[in-house]
Amino acid sequence: MSGPVMKLLLRRLLTLIPTLILVSLLLFCILRMLPVDPAAMSLPPNATNAEIEAMRIEMGLDKPLIQQYGIWFGNIIHGDFGASIHYRTAVSKLVLDTLPATIELALAAMVFATLFGVLGGLWLFYTRGGVVESVLDLGTVALLSIPEFLWGLFFMLLFGVSLDLLPFIGRLGAGVDRPETITGFLLIDSLLAGSPLTFLDAIRHMILPSVALGLSAAPPIMRILRSTLMDVYQEDYIHQARQRGISEGRILIFHALKNAFLPTLSLMGVQFGFLFGGTLLVEIIYSYPGMGNLMVDAIRNADLPIIQTVGLTYCVMVLLISMVVDVLYLVLNPKLREA
Amino acid sequence: MTTFNRRDILQLLGIGTAGAMLPARAVLAATGKDTVTMAWPSDVPSWDPNKRFSPDAQSLFKLVFDQPILQAPDLTLIPSLMTEWELAADGLSLRFALRDDVSFHDGTPMTAEDVRFSFFERLQSGEKLDIGNSWKHITDIEVTSPTSGVFRFSRPAPTAPEWLAFMGSFVVPKAYMEKVGSEAFRDAPVGTGPYKLVDYQMNSRMVFEANDAYWGGAPEIKKITVDVIKDASARVAAVQSGQADLTINIPVRETERLDKIYGITGEINPITRVILLQMRNDGEFASDNLRLAAHHAINKAALSKAFYGGAAVPLSVVAPPGTPGDVAGYDFAYDPEKARALLAEAGFSADNPARFKMATTNGHFPSDFDIARALLQMWKKVGIEVELEVIEYAKYFELNRGHKLPAATLYSWDNATGDPEIFTGYLLNPNMPFSSWKGEQPGDQIPALFQQPDYDKRIAGYQKLNREATEMGATIPLLQSVQTLARKSDLSYLKFQNGWVLGNTMSWG
Repeated sequence: MSGPVMKLLLRRLLTLIPTLILVSLLLFCILRMLPVDPAAMSLPPNATNAEIEAMRIEMGLDKPLIQQYGIWFGNIIHGDFGASIHYRTAVSKLVLDTLPATIELALAAMVFATLFGVLGGLWLFYTRGGVVESVLDLGTVALLSIPEFLWGLFFMLLFGVSLDLLPFIGRLGAGVDRPETITGFLLIDSLLAGSPLTFLDAIRHMILPSVALGLSAAPPIMRILRSTLMDVYQEDYIHQARQRGISEGRILIFHALKNAFLPTLSLMGVQFGFLFGGTLLVEIIYSYPGMGNLMVDAIRNADLPIIQTVGLTYCVMVLLISMVVDVLYLVLNPKLREA
Repeated sequence: MTTFNRRDILQLLGIGTAGAMLPARAVLAATGKDTVTMAWPSDVPSWDPNKRFSPDAQSLFKLVFDQPILQAPDLTLIPSLMTEWELAADGLSLRFALRDDVSFHDGTPMTAEDVRFSFFERLQSGEKLDIGNSWKHITDIEVTSPTSGVFRFSRPAPTAPEWLAFMGSFVVPKAYMEKVGSEAFRDAPVGTGPYKLVDYQMNSRMVFEANDAYWGGAPEIKKITVDVIKDASARVAAVQSGQADLTINIPVRETERLDKIYGITGEINPITRVILLQMRNDGEFASDNLRLAAHHAINKAALSKAFYGGAAVPLSVVAPPGTPGDVAGYDFAYDPEKARALLAEAGFSADNPARFKMATTNGHFPSDFDIARALLQMWKKVGIEVELEVIEYAKYFELNRGHKLPAATLYSWDNATGDPEIFTGYLLNPNMPFSSWKGEQPGDQIPALFQQPDYDKRIAGYQKLNREATEMGATIPLLQSVQTLARKSDLSYLKFQNGWVLGNTMSWG
């Protein structure tokens, strides 16, 4: 790994620490302001006030807020994220069990958004100035304005119920056995288990939620790609390429796209972060057993330890994605490496 | 490491293109007719049924575990693991006898030691169990033989048999639990129930296989798959598309629509759940006349027709029809004129309307928010103006416990036993966190009823209390709630008054 990349990674890792501390502090304080009592929530509804008070002391809720935060953060550093109020089990286990499904779904959605966005952006650029571009522009506005959960419901009714083409419940069909959990990533685990049918069934179950999730992430990619391509086409090297007799297709793909892709890559990093947030409702609609599903339940049950941990996990994921994008940016852009 | 040969790759490619578009129903067709797939609205809190429970999880727990006493479809108590039980005249002990032919899924026989462990030893060990609050008055469970014993209570426990058939009261295996520990038990639960849990993925799916050695007879359905589908629209779609054979808790209108589709039956079944207005006895509602006016102004039959297809029965007391606490023949009239007269007596008029605040949940039970809005319109007609506040279900308990609910709160209360103790005894007991009514009357009668061992006297006491509570406006009972259900028409199941949908009572054809 080159020096500039290592430096960047180091810098990003150093900024990760204060960012996480800040986010954890914000999360902790905001959640403590909610009008719910974690002690009461952790007991059956018929618990007496004395029992609740005892639980409050046991949970350390009688201590000053900053001290509570200190205890919580100290435990996190030691890998203890607390126990879920609702499930009464270690939060870290719940998050680790559900995170792979969410990553898998978000990655599939990102793959779809990238393909759809890049191809759409190229088409927009190709048809620039014409009626088709206006129509396509209108289409991207429509795609942007419809939230992912509505797409989710629409696809479920169209492809799942009316056309009866694709499944929309969970990650596998009722007659398909789940492979042994090795990585938690179903696609990988089914391949490791040597079960191509399970792999394909998992893919079939992933199509609708990932398309619903990725659809609204694609239009910004299309638009930024189109506009950066337009800028790139003003550069001298494009004119020179034309003068050298290189075909328009080759100029677009091998010369312009490479440079136009860098700002698009930055945007894709941001979009990937949004995709993670979008999994919350899509996972509920498609009964996808991911972290979003867990989070919605936690919010419904005021399960603060889960909300805090999932919130932190989202934050870590977004920071990691941003770090990967920065590294890719550096690798793809020689000017930055030299600087 | 797994390797792929040419055949695997061809299979992958072939199914990848054609299989991705294969109709979902075609895949399901291969599952046969001794399997059932259910779309369920929620997951179990955990697979330790003593630890954490909820009403919706009860039907799932009952697949894997048994309760000491069972309820018949009409809610009468019938033998289960316990063949006999007898509450002492003073209510301080309960003698029981167990079946001698029951084994846990791991093959170990179920004995009175397991009963003692589930209801006493686990609580004594300091484990945080929800049943700890149900059984806090147990002082001991004496084991007199492998199939008999005696529960001892620190105070009379007249409803102990009902509680043995209620939430969380399941028998778990002492030896297995002690061997693997509570955490591991939740990952691989072992019970005596009609099914074994063979696969579980939280918030997604659970798969049950029939326990052919079940003491109650091998279940007809050999495999049950439960898909946890929290979104009601998705549950409707699952049944309509054939991806699920049965679902519950879907919107009433969708149930009616599904019922019109050939091959699907939609049901709207009244269950032992009541919808009521929980009242405060202070603030805006300190006036008896105002509370009673608010009650007389409500057309409950219209609410039932508008939101439950007429299936929800209007209530005059906090007890569903046919349950012991119901007061036969008593009817609190819908009478807007009387409401206006009572308001006038309280000093209110069209120019000077009564005003109060009301809370409701939105989505906690079917049509809750719509009912609240309809109530506002009904009250407005007689001169009551209400400010509506939507609260989260989780916040409801917090507010009620802190006595911070507004003057009235629209709420739904579930009680699978049907016993009045868990209706009125909880909802109007000022000492319990479930009651927003903190007035001395009529709740001062409840502590004695909690300890009244004579069944007839106890029930008569609750019936009197129920009537008094309504007549003084301490509560406004609205409707007996319903459970909506949609299923394939050729799938039958045993209908329980408390809404249980049990896999071992299902059959095809």
